[in-house]
Amino acid sequence: MSESKTGAPTAQPNAAGSVAPRSPAGPRWRRRLLRNPVAVFGMIVIGFFLLVVLFAPFLAPYSPTEQNLRTTYVPPGVGVKLRGPDGQWGIWVHPVTRSPTAGVRVDESVAHPVRLFVRGTQWTWFFGLIKSDLRLFGVDGPTRFYLLGTDEQGRDLLSRLIHGAWISMFIGLISIAIGVGIGVPAGAISGFLGGGTDMVVQRVIDTLLAFPGILLAIVLVATFGTGLTNVMIAVGVASVPIYARLVRGSVLQVKNREYVEAAAALGRRRLSTLGRHVIPNVMAPIIVQSSLQMATAILFAAGLGFLGLGARPPQPEWGLMLARGREYLAVAPHVATFPGLAIMFVVLGFNLLGDALRDALDPRM
Amino acid sequence: MLQYTLRRILIAFPSVLGVMIIVFAMVRFAPGDPAQLLAGEFADRATIELIRERFGLNEPQHVQFYRFVVGVAQGDLGMSTRTNRAVTADLASYFPNTIELALGAIFVALLFGIPAGILAALRPNSPFDLAVMIGALIGVSMPVFWFGLLAILIFSVQLGWFPVAGRGTLTHLVLPAITLGLSSMAIIARMTRSSMLEVLNQDFIRTARAKGLFGRGVVMKHALRNALVPVVTVVGLQFGALLAGAVITETVFSWPGIGRLLVDSIRARDYPVVQGSVLLIAVSFIFVNLFVDLVYGFIDPRIRYE
Repeated sequence: MSESKTGAPTAQPNAAGSVAPRSPAGPRWRRRLLRNPVAVFGMIVIGFFLLVVLFAPFLAPYSPTEQNLRTTYVPPGVGVKLRGPDGQWGIWVHPVTRSPTAGVRVDESVAHPVRLFVRGTQWTWFFGLIKSDLRLFGVDGPTRFYLLGTDEQGRDLLSRLIHGAWISMFIGLISIAIGVGIGVPAGAISGFLGGGTDMVVQRVIDTLLAFPGILLAIVLVATFGTGLTNVMIAVGVASVPIYARLVRGSVLQVKNREYVEAAAALGRRRLSTLGRHVIPNVMAPIIVQSSLQMATAILFAAGLGFLGLGARPPQPEWGLMLARGREYLAVAPHVATFPGLAIMFVVLGFNLLGDALRDALDPRM
Repeated sequence: MLQYTLRRILIAFPSVLGVMIIVFAMVRFAPGDPAQLLAGEFADRATIELIRERFGLNEPQHVQFYRFVVGVAQGDLGMSTRTNRAVTADLASYFPNTIELALGAIFVALLFGIPAGILAALRPNSPFDLAVMIGALIGVSMPVFWFGLLAILIFSVQLGWFPVAGRGTLTHLVLPAITLGLSSMAIIARMTRSSMLEVLNQDFIRTARAKGLFGRGVVMKHALRNALVPVVTVVGLQFGALLAGAVITETVFSWPGIGRLLVDSIRARDYPVVQGSVLLIAVSFIFVNLFVDLVYGFIDPRIRYE
């Protein structure tokens, strides 16, 4: 505040600050967003996804890595009945086994009811902070209930999907953090300072943009190795040029506005003007891009997982699960179908929200 | 036009150089001895030393880079550690297949994307418009590999209409082209719609209507020609993006293209081929973009004086 070069009184830069419009559209954008059914649908999907991430071990009936070679490729819904042995209503399951020679076998002589809030195996969550054995639903008895079927190692597909949600979530967030953390300052400085700095930054961005789509992430993974951590970094770095170009464009639009000139006239340093007056006014496209980036990051990470360049088995990463399911597509199509549906819905949610945010924040875009 | 063309070409050069630096750096930043990486995991000591000598890996980085650039210019990208064939020979046999797939995909994308966009724009906010827009969003949200697998499952395994994988006849191309073209189709439909909407609200369309022109005449003769100008850019950019998108589609359909070559080479740590394919895809993308810019400058002269 008081560090202005010309020694201007502290009150004046504040006055310059008040010239700048607050947020791009004020609180009206929130109303516009909530009135848009597409946005609301997107937010519901994302909200559901967040709940799954937060309460994964409680929602998942079983451990995501627990194998059972006697129940491989059990299709969804096999051995499930809506009537109990005495004709009572409810969800009842018969024990199911599957062998390569005899196929799927349902033992109809035994049935156990599916109940809410059952005790299962112990789980820990949030780095061991939460320990419990309570699960949202499960079978009251020794039989297993495979709502979405099992995979090639007899693992419960639903539990794996639920536990895989945080991986997608985390990849998206890290990728945004990297993209915003590097791309926004690079683009802002490039656009605001112009001249030689702009030249150099632009050439770097151009070079990175020469690797279209997922290719930049593939290049980074090929260089530094596969694995989840490298995928997060790679997908994040791949978003840097997109943020940088976006922010540069927005800064160029804003930098000659009166309030920026006023700040300069009042003796505010250029970088401090950039931080206090320019960047807050180019937040709208950054927010929109971040929602869309979440979608892109999840798609890219799943794509890398699918190619065998991402997460490693037995991690329940959705792309990797899909790749495993691909090998047994004709025998057990459900193994590839459900992870794909999960990816599509989450990506769709973020795309819808991003689109709606763009409409709400800047109707001209 | 000439000045514009020259300026565009000059701007493309630093990008090509940048791409070369990144591809060059890939092997140097990868964990392990670059000579070992370029010679392959199972190479003996003598071969490694031969590679070290050939690529000058004992020399300073700038000399190495100079040698690399000269090699690229002469079409020498080294030997594949898997097949022992020259990398350029591998690329030359795989790249045309990728082009074939990308052309098929862009054809599919245009065939459905443009009409869908036009029809949606003619009746904004109608059920059809809504369906196109939702379809487009689903199209960009759907994982390519998942769509490909579903297509194989339904049309190849269940119905038996198309072959499951591989390349050869036109029927081999149908599913991969649709799979790869899906997201471009969505993007082109959205772009056509918004561009068409913008044009339809302009004065000259109002004039045409006021003069008594109705229906198809206005749309086809006056609006479409103007609305398609920005679509050209998107089509060009999409074609470049398809080269990268082919990485996944080719893996799903076992299509013998450069994308699959890249993935297989990464898995096998065949670094010379990885470098070569990445270089080829990125440089093709730069040239496609350059070409699009030039075409755009040609059809919309305002661009040249930006």
